[in-house]
Amino acid sequence: MRYLPPGLGRGLVASLALLAAAATHADDLQIEVMAGGCANCHGTDGRLSGAVPPLAGRDQALLESRLLAFKHEEVPGTTIMDRIAKGFSDEELAALAEHYATLAND
Amino acid sequence: MTQPTRPTLDRRQLLQGLGAAASLPLLGGLAAPAFANGGDGRVVVIGGGFGGATAAKYLKRGNPALQVTLVEPQSTFYTCPFSNLFLGGLREMESIAHGYDELRDRYGVEVVHARAEDIDPVAHKVSLTGGRELAYDRLVLSPGIDIRWNALEGYDEAAADLAPHAWKAGPQTRLLKEQLEGMEDGGTFVMVAPANPFRCPPGPYERASMVAHYFSQHKPNAKVLILDAKDNFSKQGLFTAGWERLYGDRIEWVGLSGDGRVTRVDAANREVETEFGTRHQADVLNVIPPQKAGWIADRAGVTDDSGWVPVQPATFESTRVPDIHVVGDATIAAPMPKSGFCANAQAKVAAAAIVAALAGRSAPEPYWTNTCYSLVGPEYGISVAGVYRLADGQIASVEGAGGLSPMEASDEVRRMEAQYAVGWYNAICQDTWGTEA
Repeated sequence: MRYLPPGLGRGLVASLALLAAAATHADDLQIEVMAGGCANCHGTDGRLSGAVPPLAGRDQALLESRLLAFKHEEVPGTTIMDRIAKGFSDEELAALAEHYATLAND
Repeated sequence: MTQPTRPTLDRRQLLQGLGAAASLPLLGGLAAPAFANGGDGRVVVIGGGFGGATAAKYLKRGNPALQVTLVEPQSTFYTCPFSNLFLGGLREMESIAHGYDELRDRYGVEVVHARAEDIDPVAHKVSLTGGRELAYDRLVLSPGIDIRWNALEGYDEAAADLAPHAWKAGPQTRLLKEQLEGMEDGGTFVMVAPANPFRCPPGPYERASMVAHYFSQHKPNAKVLILDAKDNFSKQGLFTAGWERLYGDRIEWVGLSGDGRVTRVDAANREVETEFGTRHQADVLNVIPPQKAGWIADRAGVTDDSGWVPVQPATFESTRVPDIHVVGDATIAAPMPKSGFCANAQAKVAAAAIVAALAGRSAPEPYWTNTCYSLVGPEYGISVAGVYRLADGQIASVEGAGGLSPMEASDEVRRMEAQYAVGWYNAICQDTWGTEA
């Protein structure tokens, strides 16, 4: 079965962004689940440096524009992030960028 | 693995009754204790592989007040991912070994090195070797796979000492490596590959690649023959092109319609026979046999007639037994493959669902990702990726996302994918066990 991201998911992420200033425990869980797959190549909380670059503490606008560029195949020489980024709505990518930008990088 | 067997007649009937009762709201409410927000609860995790270790860690990250106990017989866990690189001579076994220090010391997980022998889903108790009992509010099973001994005629536990499966990393992997090293140049490595579903769909073909690489370095006249019970396999076009590019005609693959399905194994003579009676003589014989969910899943009553575990996709809670979540290779989670990456991803979804449930909240919306890298050669990597969400209550691939490495790609792209494969391995092992590469 194939599936298109529904409006519901985008709405949820928009609400998340609105509530970010006063994040509740439940919101933390939701963003942790959404970001869960990132850790498998970028380390827990995106803090691992190596062949794959770290994410934690990087500039939010840079992260978001990079994720969107991957999604739209605008990054030459990309191996896999284009295939991953296409699985998320623009709003979800924005929420992920904000999440990693706010994490300390140590 | 040898496990004690006990009568299960009454248990089956009891569990079927339980499964039906779980759909009643009243009993469901009684079975799930309601905790205040951020309250504690007892969670037992069985299995310290990608799924279990990740679940334990992310349960504590989600709510440090939870009492989390991880039950795993071994103090060192060897990963199946990258065990093929050991066979290819690219890595030592120590580099795929992981422990439980981070879970214990940083996250406060109680790690118990014992074997779970039985589960009482009514009393919510796990009994361990040595007699200890663990009570749980929620149980996570990450039991991995067990071999279906004798499902392939002639392939039993004794046969595996002669013709290793090496489909659980550890002594079997070392045995296969020793046999490869001891083989005369000019010999043939025969691999028997199973029908779907099985652990790590691209794994047999990466193994064939790594063995061919080892031969190219040390036994230039040796051959690889894959006898396959199916006509298509994961990343087939990419593997086939890579084999031709790096190894010429060293690797031969025979699929189901070419009489590749092995029906009998004579491990003592290293001979196999196919469906239509063709006999193949091996110098080293690697049998990757039919599989099923790890044994403890049967004891918990969560497996179905297929031998695998059906789960509720949003939470990975068993469809048959309440308060037991199952993650990893043991589950029926298609289109997600049976991979370490997926086990890790499913464990995070299950952990968040448990944290939420024990705090009286509904589970977060699930997200899953998968990436499987395979090395065709030391500097030649290929990958398949997938992004998954819920659609109509089922796990579904997100339209337009995921997919394979391109068929046409530069050497530089293949080299980068080989580097990222190492980056992925280091990262997922850090995320799962805290291992610093």
